[in-house]
Amino acid sequence: MDSTKGKPKKLESVVSISLLSILVLIALAVFIKQSDYDMSRFGIEAPVGELITAKLHSLAPAGFETLSEIEIYHAENLFEKIDGKAPLYIESGFEKLFTRRFISKEDENLWMELFVFDMAALRNAFSIYSVQRRADVEILPDMQFGYRTSDAPYFVHGKYYIEFIASTKSDELFKAMMETAQKIQTSLALDADTEIPELSYFPQDNLVSGSQKLYLASAFGFEKLTDTFTAQYRVGDDTVTAFLSDRPSATDATTLFENYYKFLIENGGKEIPTENPKAKFVDFYGTLEIVTVAGQFVFGIHEAENPQLASKVEKMILNKLHETIKNIKK
Amino acid sequence: MTEQKDKNLGRRQFLTRAGKAGVSIAAAGFASYLLYDPKGPPRQAVKAEQLVTLPDFSVPHKAGDTISIVEGPDRKQTITKAIELLGGIERFVKQGETVAIKPNVAFARPPMLGATAHPELVAAVVELCRKAGAKLVYVTDNPIDASASCFTLSGIRKAASAAGAKVILPKAHHFKHTTLEGGKLIKNWPIFFGPFEKIDKLIGIAPVKHHARAGASMSMKNWYGLLGGRRNIFHQDINTIIAELSMMVKPTLVILDGTEVMITNGPTGGSVSDLKRANTLIASCDMVAADSYGCTLLGLKPPDLPYLAKAQTAGAGETNYEALKPVLGTV
Repeated sequence: MDSTKGKPKKLESVVSISLLSILVLIALAVFIKQSDYDMSRFGIEAPVGELITAKLHSLAPAGFETLSEIEIYHAENLFEKIDGKAPLYIESGFEKLFTRRFISKEDENLWMELFVFDMAALRNAFSIYSVQRRADVEILPDMQFGYRTSDAPYFVHGKYYIEFIASTKSDELFKAMMETAQKIQTSLALDADTEIPELSYFPQDNLVSGSQKLYLASAFGFEKLTDTFTAQYRVGDDTVTAFLSDRPSATDATTLFENYYKFLIENGGKEIPTENPKAKFVDFYGTLEIVTVAGQFVFGIHEAENPQLASKVEKMILNKLHETIKNIKK
Repeated sequence: MTEQKDKNLGRRQFLTRAGKAGVSIAAAGFASYLLYDPKGPPRQAVKAEQLVTLPDFSVPHKAGDTISIVEGPDRKQTITKAIELLGGIERFVKQGETVAIKPNVAFARPPMLGATAHPELVAAVVELCRKAGAKLVYVTDNPIDASASCFTLSGIRKAASAAGAKVILPKAHHFKHTTLEGGKLIKNWPIFFGPFEKIDKLIGIAPVKHHARAGASMSMKNWYGLLGGRRNIFHQDINTIIAELSMMVKPTLVILDGTEVMITNGPTGGSVSDLKRANTLIASCDMVAADSYGCTLLGLKPPDLPYLAKAQTAGAGETNYEALKPVLGTV
């Protein structure tokens, strides 16, 4: 009888140890993951929700009282509050919406509703703010990004996008809304993420104030053109829209540059010859599209009716980006 | 003895046991595969005999008496004129009839923001129906937001009640299941049916609004309020659901309010800056025609809204509103 017959061979031991190690790793992964689940899905309010809810209790302006309970919406039921606009928010990183109405103690016709959208990050909040920004508004200088229309203020505070609706146009109501806005600024802490670098990459000359927008997905109908900023430039009566996207690498930027050019051609655009291999000029149904790549940046001009102004702005952005790229390398 | 035997396990025995274990695992896996139901448990289906169908409330119409377009800033005056141009309210509402008016009351927002039907317009239509001898006039909707708040804050509850209508807020017993013949989405789906079950005429009132998903929300989209359940899932195929609503609902008349048009940030808006004054009101027996004209107030053309062509293909109306010889007026 071979005395070694009942003993495991070395290979069997190695296989067994490997299998046991994998099981331990799986158990560890399950343990870590289960500690990090989304509590909102299980009907338990996450701590951040409790915090904001507590703050909302103290946001009534002087002379006003609460008209409704605090309402909290998640991605699953946001449509109940804003219907067809819900996908816009959800696609932009929306996490929660907190709302509450306040009414004047003196005049029942004066009421307002506060909307605090938790967009998870400053960029997301800026995106949703910028794409909904109204025309002909007055900038609110005390806000990082904020403006007012004739009836209400709208602003970004860190990862929150905040808006009000007013029952009527009223100076008294607007004053009350601004009081609540200031309370929000002082009571809701900002995250570390307080800057959006790309906004400074656009040259300032001829830039239309407040015209910058961030499209997180499918800018100009092209699904790969994500995380793309636009800005308007005006000279005299002519305006052009410039765009800029900071990609993870120069290779990624070149791929996007080529794909966007193909997208334009496939959709009826006609190339206008140019000697610059890093730029494409496309006649797009009578408007000019310019798409350019510089380092990790893809940028250009969208649907310009004035080719001279389009070329001028494209060069301005290129020069600015050269400075930016140098600074990034430093 | 057994332990000793196991220690002396031979290669053949090992392979046999491993084979048996493998077969057991495979059998369990195969059984799971057979029992796996990727769709999950079915929704509580309603038996065919319990399904309901909305009655046809439409009135006969032909080119020249189907659509009227009236310009003017005062909603009471424009709606009175628009209905007069179509033959007067008596053409649509007879003595002793029960009429349901379905305004867009989707949101708890003040009238100033244009997200809901304007209370003055709703009141004016109620008054016209009462004047024609309507026995009962209901004003009802199934809002997305809390219904009591929507009817109150939009001003519609107060205005409609003051004009002599009975305001009906949705209750669970009002919902019954329907299946749209030829429909792709409306199958065994709950709809807000109760208030419309025993009426004679149905009038829709909607503002002209930009809509982030559909492009525009007008008289056809207004019937979205009749859908119950988790109707937001239909936003994934918004053009089809709006076209199907135009097949499911056959109203007597639709009124499309373009006095102030929400040109951006719809359908909720949120600021008076989202509105543009267009001073136009449309009354129509053909809601596809009404919306085809209405979209021009938003700077769109009918082909920009795919649901219009779909509705026309389904026989719900005419996108070429000019072929219906609109009757024009100004007040």
